[in-house]
Amino acid sequence: MRRLPHPAPLPRLLHPAAWWVWGAGLAVAASRTTNPFLLVLVVAVAGWVVLERREKGVPNAFLPFLVVGLFAIGLRVVMVALLGGGVTGRVVLFRLPEIPLPQWTSGVRLGGAVTLEGVLAAAYEGLRLAAMLACLGATNALASPRRLLRYVPATLYEVGTAVVVALTFAPQLVDDALRVRAARRLRGHSGRGLAEIGRLAVPVLVGALERSLHLAASMESRGYGRAVRRTRSSAALAGALTLLGLFGVVTGLYGVLDGTAPLLLGAPMLAAGSLCAAAALVVGARRDPRTRYRRDPWQGAEWLVSAAGLVPGVVLAVAAASGWPGVVPQQVPATLPSVPLALVAAIAVAALAAPLAPVPPALALARERAS
Amino acid sequence: MSGRSRWRTAASMTLVLAVGVAAFGWPFLAAPGSQVGQLGHGTDASFVFVLLMALMCLVLLAELSSGGIDAKTIAVLGVLAAAGGALRVLSAGTAGLEPMFFLLVIAGRALGAAKGFLLGALALLASAFLTAGIGPWTPFQMICCGWVALGAGLLPRAAGWAERWLLAAYGLVCGLLYGAVMNLWFWPFMGSSAPAGAGYVPGAGASANLGHYAVFYVTTSLAWDLPRGVLTAALTLVASRPLLRALRRSVRQARFEAPVRFAP
Repeated sequence: MRRLPHPAPLPRLLHPAAWWVWGAGLAVAASRTTNPFLLVLVVAVAGWVVLERREKGVPNAFLPFLVVGLFAIGLRVVMVALLGGGVTGRVVLFRLPEIPLPQWTSGVRLGGAVTLEGVLAAAYEGLRLAAMLACLGATNALASPRRLLRYVPATLYEVGTAVVVALTFAPQLVDDALRVRAARRLRGHSGRGLAEIGRLAVPVLVGALERSLHLAASMESRGYGRAVRRTRSSAALAGALTLLGLFGVVTGLYGVLDGTAPLLLGAPMLAAGSLCAAAALVVGARRDPRTRYRRDPWQGAEWLVSAAGLVPGVVLAVAAASGWPGVVPQQVPATLPSVPLALVAAIAVAALAAPLAPVPPALALARERAS
Repeated sequence: MSGRSRWRTAASMTLVLAVGVAAFGWPFLAAPGSQVGQLGHGTDASFVFVLLMALMCLVLLAELSSGGIDAKTIAVLGVLAAAGGALRVLSAGTAGLEPMFFLLVIAGRALGAAKGFLLGALALLASAFLTAGIGPWTPFQMICCGWVALGAGLLPRAAGWAERWLLAAYGLVCGLLYGAVMNLWFWPFMGSSAPAGAGYVPGAGASANLGHYAVFYVTTSLAWDLPRGVLTAALTLVASRPLLRALRRSVRQARFEAPVRFAP
């Protein structure tokens, strides 16, 4: 049977994992370079995709992350100006009064000459961090991490349930706190100060605990419960794999950290231990018979969006490893960084995620109404 | 919890503690010429440890819940994690003050070590979901918060005034230590842009890097950590008595573990 080609993909939510792969790829790309033009491009791409494909009503995490990023740039520049940085340049912008420090604070200085090269290096590093934060913020805005909770392996089912309970109860607790506070205000208390917080916490928490027992009763009556879904042998296997994997990881870490350990004890051991531990997560889940209500499909759009994020990540990682010009611009003396077109093209590929991904339903509805 | 699973939990906790020590403290532990020292200048190693800590988090959560958690424990954990998350959301304006800690200390004390760890990790995760602030720092924070609550559960027995002051002192220490430990995961990542004498220098040896880190800590984060520690201690002193009573009461209420058997 052939599927009918339709002109535009129907509005639906993209699989959250696809957005996280996309964001991780872009963040890796940002982490590999300090070229300010490339980094600004990364932020622009992330911002544009958020503008195009953020579902209506989802809190926009992009802006707070952007503000934190700007703060990081400013903090870096101020600290380098005050304390001096790893990059010592020749072009002195201005001199701050230098405060002599005692001998034991070796290497630390307060004040002194502020060089153009030092400030620029700090700004580039700060910008790199800001760009990575922007990628994370974009991902948080595009695919609410809550939706990822559905995909925890069944070994983590109980923990996942506890998190869902927490996320459902948190807004109610905030409401409770506001109500208790209003009640205390009506009785003439200010509602501020440390002792007030303590008085607020007690009724809110006691109420919440009462409610949790009701919740537990209703969970049990609806069949959440004691039925152990895994066989004894699979549980024992998972436990053994966990311990073995953790032991391998610890040994591998020792090998990686110690200079004299044989090579085999290092990274290979670490990888083997991690694999073992990850296998433990899967083994316990293999026989789980639970089914999901309304799975998110993983279709062509998901593959394309993931690939669009991975392309810049891979290209920039290769470029940084093989030292292409323009990935890490020259710091001393300060010059205008070049703009390598191949890397610009690679980062621009990530922007394709916006046209490739289907429009989320509520946003599509809003656009339809607007037009 | 049966004896064997208790033993297994303790073993995996200890192993993850060792992994955590390595993941946080590798700038000081890496010997010159080791494989981590060769892994680029710090940033690549940071990535490896982010992935490793995320895996450790999942494995430990799975291990702690492997015996099957009953509905009451899940409900209590979920509600307490919600309270922790709500506290963190409410305090989002005061960056880093984290009144959540006092709840973790008190609840960890009432619930015991293993459930305390679960609560700490879940409360942090819930708050990260609520503020949409998931990032590479989340696994580190989850494990650290878990340790805070776990430590409260492992404190020696005490009652009355002694317990209040013990918990308050523990809260103060935690507030300070948490900042000192949490800075470590991104400190090597700052690379050459850290101020002179306060950045990670690969291959410079443990004592030099410890000195640099001390400078970094005092100049950047002590101003946040000290108020946090004091706030945690003060809140614990004020609220620990009624909260402990309420928590212990509900834990006792939730413990009707009469085994149910159906005979044919």
